[in-house]
Amino acid sequence: MRQVAAELKKFRTIWSTWLLLGITAFLVAALTAVIAFAPHDRGARELLFPMRGTTRWFDSIFSSLTVSLTLALVLGILCMTGEYRHKTITPTYLAQPRRGRVVVSKLLASALGGAVVAVVAGAVALVFGFSVVGAGIGDSSRMLTEYRHVFPGVLAAAILYAVYGVGLGALLKNQVVAIVVGLGVTAILEPIIVAVVPSVGRWLPGQVAQALESVTANANGLNNGITHLVLWWQGGLALLGYGIVLAAAGAFTTLRSDVT
Amino acid sequence: MLAVDDLSFVVEPGTVTGFLGPNGAGKTTTLRMLLGLVAPTSGSALVNGRSYHDLADPTRTVGGVLEASGFHPARTARNHLRIVGTVAGIDSGRVDEVLELVGLGTDGDRKVGGFSLGMRQRLELARALLGDPQVLILDEPANGLDPQGIAWMRGFLRWYASQGRIVLVSSHLLAEAAQTVDRVIILAGGRLVAEGPLDQLLQGATTTVRVRTPDAERLVRLLEDAAASGPVDHPPTSVRLEGPDVVMAEGTTAETVGPLMARAGIVVYEMTSSGESLEQLFFELTEGLEQGGHPMGRPGPPPTSGGPVQGSAP
Repeated sequence: MRQVAAELKKFRTIWSTWLLLGITAFLVAALTAVIAFAPHDRGARELLFPMRGTTRWFDSIFSSLTVSLTLALVLGILCMTGEYRHKTITPTYLAQPRRGRVVVSKLLASALGGAVVAVVAGAVALVFGFSVVGAGIGDSSRMLTEYRHVFPGVLAAAILYAVYGVGLGALLKNQVVAIVVGLGVTAILEPIIVAVVPSVGRWLPGQVAQALESVTANANGLNNGITHLVLWWQGGLALLGYGIVLAAAGAFTTLRSDVT
Repeated sequence: MLAVDDLSFVVEPGTVTGFLGPNGAGKTTTLRMLLGLVAPTSGSALVNGRSYHDLADPTRTVGGVLEASGFHPARTARNHLRIVGTVAGIDSGRVDEVLELVGLGTDGDRKVGGFSLGMRQRLELARALLGDPQVLILDEPANGLDPQGIAWMRGFLRWYASQGRIVLVSSHLLAEAAQTVDRVIILAGGRLVAEGPLDQLLQGATTTVRVRTPDAERLVRLLEDAAASGPVDHPPTSVRLEGPDVVMAEGTTAETVGPLMARAGIVVYEMTSSGESLEQLFFELTEGLEQGGHPMGRPGPPPTSGGPVQGSAP
């Protein structure tokens, strides 16, 4: 537990963590505004830009929350790789020579960090939601219903995405490589694999995260038309599995190497 | 690459033990093995009979001072220490104490990114001292310190050892080490070449003895006879006359030359021995053993000025 507290203190005592939360707030605010006030479209873009004030519209603006997943992933990666980048891994291992414990503490601390990212994002989106309702667009019960559909899934996915980030960092150790791989897999590799072999593609990190995100949205039939996804709980377990398996693999390979 | 091979040594409480060797001798690797950062291929590195990984409370048992680079530049010195303290269950009062102890009392809230190398070195020491450990292991702690800082570090290490604790300090600065340590462990090419109390090791070391005497020519003959027949412990390897009344005898000791002169009734105005230093001993022991096949060789003739050098620590 003390190790987890120390990991949280590491987050709190560097400005990059606060910068990351600031970026989260900014991106959510910007994306929400763009989606909300883009001219709505009866055509193909109707899914993303529906009529203002409708249930679909609120669902759509709150989809901006998914950006917090990327930031949670970066937070998890930084938690692990930052230690190697700044060589603070030496004092860390001197204080806790059992490296497995350090990794487990980082998984737990980053899970909490991922939750904080999602909560910051959620708070910004909620403030935005109340603002538009206050301005006379839509009504608050419709807004809150949609918020409750979107936010819990995003929160769960952000927590597990941060865990996945620690796993990537533990295995790859190098900060730049881990961030490039983490973002590259979701942004470039996944869409290709999903298109070519959907049965495999739907088990990739970004896809299982989407499945998990839709945990509450599904109830409303608002899955944004995505049909290839696995069930939300399967997605959650798979994402958790990615984090733990990668972290364990890291703990038994790269993290065991000599610290010189 | 094999850095250290078949090395074993024991360090004792109440002493400062110097861990010496040329660059690449394996000093840092050995210390990092002791601290659980590097895994030995075989064998074990034990502190208090336990490997670092098995220590119940490492921060309170062993303090490791390594290359002063393990800091996040954006974190303050105090927060850096508080994080280590959190893991070990050490309160922030102790953090302020060690900051004060190493002379960083007023810099605790500054970011380490703005610290000089000397300040980082002090912060590194502060971290090692957090748990008030019984064993202190330091890798080149004088690096980056100014002369005042080096003198302070020397005094600190002596004081720390005098409390009945163990101090193991690696250094490549022999003159500095000679002033600080009681015992030495000399490593070369990854192997132990000497171990023991410094003054004992130095007793056996040969030196250049310089004698000023009115009977210079007789002394030269006497020493040459001794070298030829060798009835003494350290017969000189070469003897020469320097000026009308000065004799230089190399490869011998004052303890050899003095009695010889007494028995022969030769008057002595002045006798000094030089090179009876840690440095001399070090070169003798490590010659040709440096890694990479670049033997440094013996330095030029040892300086002959200065009084008799006693190698023991103050």
